[in-house]
Amino acid sequence: MLGFLTARQTGLDEPLRLRRAESTRRVLGLKLNPDRDLERIHGNGINTIDIEAIEGRYLLSGGADGVIVIYDLENYSGQQQYTCKAVCTVGRSSRYVHKFSVETVQWYPYDTGMFVSSSFDKTMKVWDTETLKPAEVFEFDGNVYSHHLSPIARKHSLIAVGTKNPKIQLCDMKSGSRIHVLQGHRAEVLSVQWSPRYEHILATASADSKVKVWDVRRASGSLFTLDQHNGDKSKASSEAVNTAHNGRVNGLSFTGDGLFLLTTGTDDRMRLWNSATGENTLVNYGKVCNESRKRLQFTVSHGCSPEFVFVPCGSSVAVYALHTGELVTMLRGHYNNVDCCEFHPDYQELYSGGKDCNILAWVPVLRAPDLEEETTCTIKSAAGQTAVNPAFQDAWSSDED
Amino acid sequence: MELSQRERLSELVEDLTTSGQQELNQDKIKELKKICKMSSDCIDHVYHTVMSQLNQEHSEIRLSAFQIASELFSRSHHFRTLLLDNFQDFLELTVETDSEQPLPPPKEIAKKLRSLALRTVQSWQTCYGTEYKKLALGYHFLKQVKKVDFQDAESRTIAQRRMEEERQRRMERILKGRMEAASKDMEEKYQEIKATLTEMESCMRLLLPDFGITNQIINSSPSTQTASNAYPSDDEQPRYSEDVKDDRKERRKQQKAETCQEDKKSCLKKNNSQDVSVKMKQELYEEEGVCEKRKDGNEKEEEGEGKLNNGQDPLNKNSEEDKEEDNVSLHGDLFIRNSGLISHSYSLDLNLSPGFHVKETEDNEAVISTVIDIHRLITYKHLPAVQGWVQIFIKAGAEQQLLRRALDLKKSLEAALQKHRELHIDYKTRVRKVMKASLQKREDYDDEDDDDDDEDDSDFDEVPEKEGYEPHVPEHLRAEYGLDPSPSTSAGSIPRKRSAAPPPQSSCSSFSSRQLKRLKEEEQDPTSAAATLHLLGVQTAQTSSSGPSSEQKPVDAPVVPFGLDLYYWGQEQPNAGKVIKATSQHQFWVPAEVDEEVENDNLLAESRSRYISFPGRFTPVNHFCRAPLGEGKLCQRQDRRKCPFHGSIVPRDQDGRPCREEDRLREEEEKRRKAEEQLDWRDAELMRDIEAETGEDLGSGRVAKKGKGKKKKYPNLSDLKQSDNTSRSRLEKKVFNKSAMRRVAEVMSKADRRKHDKFSNQFNYALK
Repeated sequence: MLGFLTARQTGLDEPLRLRRAESTRRVLGLKLNPDRDLERIHGNGINTIDIEAIEGRYLLSGGADGVIVIYDLENYSGQQQYTCKAVCTVGRSSRYVHKFSVETVQWYPYDTGMFVSSSFDKTMKVWDTETLKPAEVFEFDGNVYSHHLSPIARKHSLIAVGTKNPKIQLCDMKSGSRIHVLQGHRAEVLSVQWSPRYEHILATASADSKVKVWDVRRASGSLFTLDQHNGDKSKASSEAVNTAHNGRVNGLSFTGDGLFLLTTGTDDRMRLWNSATGENTLVNYGKVCNESRKRLQFTVSHGCSPEFVFVPCGSSVAVYALHTGELVTMLRGHYNNVDCCEFHPDYQELYSGGKDCNILAWVPVLRAPDLEEETTCTIKSAAGQTAVNPAFQDAWSSDED
Repeated sequence: MELSQRERLSELVEDLTTSGQQELNQDKIKELKKICKMSSDCIDHVYHTVMSQLNQEHSEIRLSAFQIASELFSRSHHFRTLLLDNFQDFLELTVETDSEQPLPPPKEIAKKLRSLALRTVQSWQTCYGTEYKKLALGYHFLKQVKKVDFQDAESRTIAQRRMEEERQRRMERILKGRMEAASKDMEEKYQEIKATLTEMESCMRLLLPDFGITNQIINSSPSTQTASNAYPSDDEQPRYSEDVKDDRKERRKQQKAETCQEDKKSCLKKNNSQDVSVKMKQELYEEEGVCEKRKDGNEKEEEGEGKLNNGQDPLNKNSEEDKEEDNVSLHGDLFIRNSGLISHSYSLDLNLSPGFHVKETEDNEAVISTVIDIHRLITYKHLPAVQGWVQIFIKAGAEQQLLRRALDLKKSLEAALQKHRELHIDYKTRVRKVMKASLQKREDYDDEDDDDDDEDDSDFDEVPEKEGYEPHVPEHLRAEYGLDPSPSTSAGSIPRKRSAAPPPQSSCSSFSSRQLKRLKEEEQDPTSAAATLHLLGVQTAQTSSSGPSSEQKPVDAPVVPFGLDLYYWGQEQPNAGKVIKATSQHQFWVPAEVDEEVENDNLLAESRSRYISFPGRFTPVNHFCRAPLGEGKLCQRQDRRKCPFHGSIVPRDQDGRPCREEDRLREEEEKRRKAEEQLDWRDAELMRDIEAETGEDLGSGRVAKKGKGKKKKYPNLSDLKQSDNTSRSRLEKKVFNKSAMRRVAEVMSKADRRKHDKFSNQFNYALK
């Protein structure tokens, strides 16, 4: 650390280098932090969470009972111990609440005044954050599994919606209507994701084990379909041609730079694809447990020098190195299946929600105080530690002697 | 950490967890804590061993491991962090958070473990919940998601509660369905049962009318007045004299009115073996038949005994008494007419016996058989059904009305049964009667045919009356055939045994002259059976007298089969041993010289000799083999010289050791040789497998004791593999036995193949 700092001071390194090193260190030190807590509002499993990109302050969560909650993550209390308050809630008592399980929530990328949620009650609602009333309701003829707003779009304001219907719907927020349909999948579309690099590029994953990449300007069809065997016909059996997985593909995520695409499937595999060519990079992540029949929301770190993937894996969150496929660690804290996780790029924190109704904050461990520091206040810290944490002391009774 | 400490810790944990006790051994846990106190490495090691023990599929092990964990949890921070890191698994293994992974058996211990774990987690939460995030999360998970009510005594999760409720609901539904079925059933059967009850009631009334009715009957029928008299014995002989003495006056009156009634009355009395005060309607009308039959018998007996007895003809006597009575009671005539009683001083004693006894006679047979049928119907069908309904109604909480109805039905059925029991119907006589009836003559059959009891009749074929000679006459029918009543074997045995003793010559001394006379008369008649028998008797007497030599025979002479040598006994055999050769049967061709007769010495000798085989006398074997068997018993085989298992039999002491020195040596030698042999082919492992498969003891334990069973390893734990000795498991053992399965499969495939062989050229079978 000191080395990085001096190198930065002398101007040997780019600023980015220090930042990357530090954030990587922080990510590697992610731990369940007893100081950070989120208020328990959800009485049922949490399906989806989203952190707004402007301030990185508000966290949106959607529960299996239709409840949507907005948390304030910022700690202004000045104390270490902090419970994130729920700022506002669309509870069961609200007349606008989703009837069934909320599958996806997303902030409007440019403003916290609006967010979009979609649910199994076959609707997608565009909410006004101030009044907590839906400004627009889109209705579909099937369960909505997933929707996505392009994070970088300037020329359009389209929401891609994956429903039970194999056709992908494109809803325009400008007109409030469904303007376009993308055909090509043969089963329900479990996940849709806009490219963070090109605003017209859309990737979709479906239960027919295919992943297609579209350019929404082209009406005729998809750009390409991801093939796990990279077109090697001899390896693929006739029905497995152009499939990304050997099961339902329920997770989809671009890397932060949009150069790579990650998919997860119920064949317990995760694959990394080159998003420009659709080539399977053949990174082996090993077995990634995945039994979800719905969308699995996983995330990729941002701003680290080797990037990391956080994937829900049973009741824990697995952390993989993106390009080597190495399992870095398992974050164990949930008591039931984890459904979603979201990376906070500014503080290198991870938030995960699961069926045990908890949203857990995984916060980097603070660097242990250096030795020089300790010599100055040895007595104080030692005394303070015992005073603060009597529970951490061993309590051997004398009769054991 | 030293190796010895490590080993000691593992040992301690294993000892503690496999003790099977529900409380930890205090000394051992103290020692464990003492070692753990030294360093966190020790705690690491203990943590891993405890977790591995927690993973065992045995609740007793888990319980003990959990107790160790909770001991250490409260003491060591390091242990707390280790355990909380893996708290999900820990909860799964102790609190059963995952329904896919239920706690292992035994059940009671699992339950105990669960409640203990929940209580402990709660106490941990209060102590450490604020500091250890994961503990708090786990506690909230249990509380919020699993909805564990920590105040609840049973600490059930919501799922368990729901399951229980569901089970209860299902039970209720089933009960309701059953109740409906039962009520419907009752509705259907109600009339039937009522009809049965009515039938029973009327049968009862037929057999044993109400007292009020009987009084009327007594008054209306003159014959029943005599019923008050006691006749304790069931004698066949009529006792007219006693009758007369006892109730002379009534009898006189009756005789005046109807003398022929006399016989009937006496018979009636005889029928009623005990003091039957109450007359049955039945018997009143049955009298007719019985009396007639009796009369026949009486006549016969009278014929036979008339001259031997004093000849007290009841009729004569009665007539004398009539005269007397006429003289004495002229003045009482009026009174008699008015009251029906003979004198003022006359008292009528009615003996009412506490228990009724209904004896079956031929005439109430039909009623009684109906009663039996109904009784059977009630006990085996109606009553169990009604009881079942009552039970169902009570269980399902049916309406009062329904329940009351069922209960009423049950009560009346039971009352009917009780009444039947009180009647004490004597069934045995009935069976005998049927037997007798089968032996009796055809007229009896005709009588019985009138009865309803068809099933009994159908069992016996009608046999046409025999004419003439009958070699076997049963003892009790001899009189009927007019034969000598005393048993004489000669008549039956003559045609079979020639050398038997001569027939006794009319050995019966008590043969009355009258009967003799009659016999003689009958013998004159050539068509009668007696004549035939007489003829035969004369013949046998002749044959027996013609062989006087047989009588002189010594008693113990051996009986030998008849042969040629006996045929020619004491004679010269004229052509013994000569074989006559047949001349050629050909029409033209004849051999040149023919020896017509050929002497054969062999044959000659044979015809004169006799083989007498002498097998010796059989003496039973009294000694046992007594060679020691495996289980401390001695061989119980009784061979004469050599036991097929233990060789030649030698004298042995109580323990089965041979008494003689050389035998002992030989036996030891043999044993050693055998032991050496066994090692070659008897593979202990294989045998154990086979034993496990077949469930038979082949003696693998005797062969080698190398492998130690797991059961032996932890004798204190309750055995999970111990199969329940239920009827199902026993049946399973039989049915799913490998050899049985194979046998069945073989038979079935054979059947299949046979069909195939037979019909393979027919398309519709060939396809199968």
